Amino acid sequence: MDVKVKKVLSLAAIILGIAGVILALIMDFSGSENPLRGAILVIGGLMVLAGFYFLPSKNHKKIINVLFLFPLLLAFTVTVIIPFIFGVFYSLTDWNGIKFENFVGLQNYITMFTSNDYMYSVVITFIFSAINIVLVNVIAFSLALLCTSKIKGKNYYRAAFFVPNLIGGIVLGYVWQFIFNKVLTVLIPGSVSMLTDPNLALLAIIIVSSWQYSGYIMMIYVTGLQGVPKDVLEASAVDGADRLTTLFRIKMPLIANTFTICIFLTLINSFKQFDLNFAITNGAPSRILNGVSILSTELLALNIYKTAISKNQYALGQTKAVVFFIVLAIISLTQVAISKKREVEM
Amino acid sequence: MKLKKFVSALLITAMTGALLVGCGSNNSTNTNTGTDSGTTTENKTTENTSKGNVSIRLLNGKIEIDAPLKAYAEAYKQKTGVEVVIESLGGGADIAATLKGYLAAGNMPDMFVIGGEGDYNVWKDYMEDLSNESWVSDTDVAYVSPEGKVVGFPYAVEGYGLTYNKDLLDKAGIDPATLTNINAYKAAFEKLDSMKDELGITAVVSMAAEAGQMWWSVANHNFGSYLATGVENGDSKYIDMLKKGEIDRDRMTQYAKFLKLLFDYSDKNTLISGTYDDQLALWAQGKTVFIHQGNWIDPSLPSYNVTFGMGIAPSAFMEQDTDGILADAPSWWAVYNGGKNIQACKDFLTSLATTEEGAKCLVQDCGMISSFKSTTVQPTAPLATDLMKWVQAGKTYPWHWAKMPDGFAMNNLGPVFESFAKGDVDIEGFVDLMANAIATLKQ
Repeated sequence: MDVKVKKVLSLAAIILGIAGVILALIMDFSGSENPLRGAILVIGGLMVLAGFYFLPSKNHKKIINVLFLFPLLLAFTVTVIIPFIFGVFYSLTDWNGIKFENFVGLQNYITMFTSNDYMYSVVITFIFSAINIVLVNVIAFSLALLCTSKIKGKNYYRAAFFVPNLIGGIVLGYVWQFIFNKVLTVLIPGSVSMLTDPNLALLAIIIVSSWQYSGYIMMIYVTGLQGVPKDVLEASAVDGADRLTTLFRIKMPLIANTFTICIFLTLINSFKQFDLNFAITNGAPSRILNGVSILSTELLALNIYKTAISKNQYALGQTKAVVFFIVLAIISLTQVAISKKREVEM
Repeated sequence: MKLKKFVSALLITAMTGALLVGCGSNNSTNTNTGTDSGTTTENKTTENTSKGNVSIRLLNGKIEIDAPLKAYAEAYKQKTGVEVVIESLGGGADIAATLKGYLAAGNMPDMFVIGGEGDYNVWKDYMEDLSNESWVSDTDVAYVSPEGKVVGFPYAVEGYGLTYNKDLLDKAGIDPATLTNINAYKAAFEKLDSMKDELGITAVVSMAAEAGQMWWSVANHNFGSYLATGVENGDSKYIDMLKKGEIDRDRMTQYAKFLKLLFDYSDKNTLISGTYDDQLALWAQGKTVFIHQGNWIDPSLPSYNVTFGMGIAPSAFMEQDTDGILADAPSWWAVYNGGKNIQACKDFLTSLATTEEGAKCLVQDCGMISSFKSTTVQPTAPLATDLMKWVQAGKTYPWHWAKMPDGFAMNNLGPVFESFAKGDVDIEGFVDLMANAIATLKQ
């Protein structure tokens, strides 16, 4: 086919396609119930894509690249970028989940930082995360060493440690709530449930969280440890390095990138902890602080959820979520940047 | 090369298909979900012309009555040709969130449940005025807006107090009719506690005050008696004070004394770490005499093979007699004013309120108390029967606690009750904590 004809045809397809998409959108926003509007939208979109695909151009390769990225970009934009922009926007309004009436500027941000319950949640989330990150990584790394040693039945152990991660957090939470409330109080006669003491209740969540997540992180460490080259290990053995020296001087530096990813995953996971918190304590027990009785184990994610859903303050909840995102982004990027420096290139 | 081309062609087909399916579902929400609530509200001109194919949808927030409602909807369709789709959700606050999602997605049900003042403020622009319906004059508990418009259909009345095991009280020689003030309760609790072995009980009261899951039982229900017990003609003095961030210190102290009495005679583990099921099991197995719950436990009783007699006694915390229990409509059904079949919704509600079949469905099949005075159908469940007596005698106090701000009981009052139950504070401390918590409502 003649290049010119091809060019004209594909340009026509693009223009027609755009017109079709716009027409469909106008129909939708004007409240038309014409059953064809969906078909017009889809056909229009496909025509635009086809037009670009067949368009003869010097940048054909680039266009193709973008076209093939398009489905992913579209999905990412629709499900992440647009809601995020909306979220930031709503945090500046008095949105109630249905509509908003006024712009309130930074009022939500001020309310948030001056509210005790939020600041308390921030503090205990940091405490929880710090302990949880250390605990999960120590346990997971120890288990990984166990599962890569010459112990008998290590495949069985691997599977067994990994299983808790396959069970949903809500289910696990209720099972463990039962254990803390009913089983432990019977095993230790006369004791009251761990979940009635503010500090022990936080510890209870940490225990379950470590138990659930260690197996998963262990798998990543196992992969890392298996990737340590045999010749390096042999060379160190010839040089007379004992087990501990091998571990600290050879294995750990060589799998520094595994540490990066594992600490990153546990960090994100700890800060976003919701389901176990929701199922095991749902914020209880109470703690008296400055003459006010507050929920003592309400981590940030649960606090945001309750602000929006149970207190019906959607804009404030959204504000907290925006700040949560920023804090989490800063912390995790810092962590990755620091950890990256320690990695060794082979 | 051929293979490559084939694979890429296949992938393109799959992608296009996915795109079509994805976008296609957008259309089908309008037609498939069956409910003509449609996406847009302005466009009412394209009303269903084919009569006899009218379909309305009710979002019910009480999952327990799902089956009887569906049965009634089926019978209603046989009679009138109007299809009523019942959609039931359980789980408190999440219903409001689901409903907001439905509105955003243009999938709003024609009738939906509202749970009180918080919901009313959110949905007030979306509710049809029901003031001219025939059932309005037949009930005292319809949801009336501050402007005096009736917007909520009261499908039931519920009531609670200290629900007792009649057999055990008889054995101990206590007449439940005398339990109308704090001193009567104190004497009764002491007597029952001294007869523990004879009666085979482990504690006198079954209560749960854990702040994570049982806050509603204490911070809503029990606290409701501070707000309403003993008030004349539904006087809203104490709830109005609460909303302004104030408390009546004497009344709160008196209430705290009663609460302490209840907590002191409660099963300790259930009190501070028990769930609803634990609390219920304890009482239903005859291990306690009282339980702080209402007539909604009726449907759960058969699974414990409960044979003893029972009734509800007032949550009477004052020295003087207050002979009435807290009973009110727990939630209401509102009609969505953007729906296309508003009249059909109104007809459906009227049939539930005024016909014999409707009353049978609500009262006998759902096990609830009718909120309509002209209803003659009698409930069969034990606590519902007892509640009916209180309602008919007019010895009830309103549920003012439902007018507390959203989430206040859960986040602010619940922990105070738990602290008190754990013994972290004394009566004076409890009153201070309550005062501080309520002071946060000051504007």
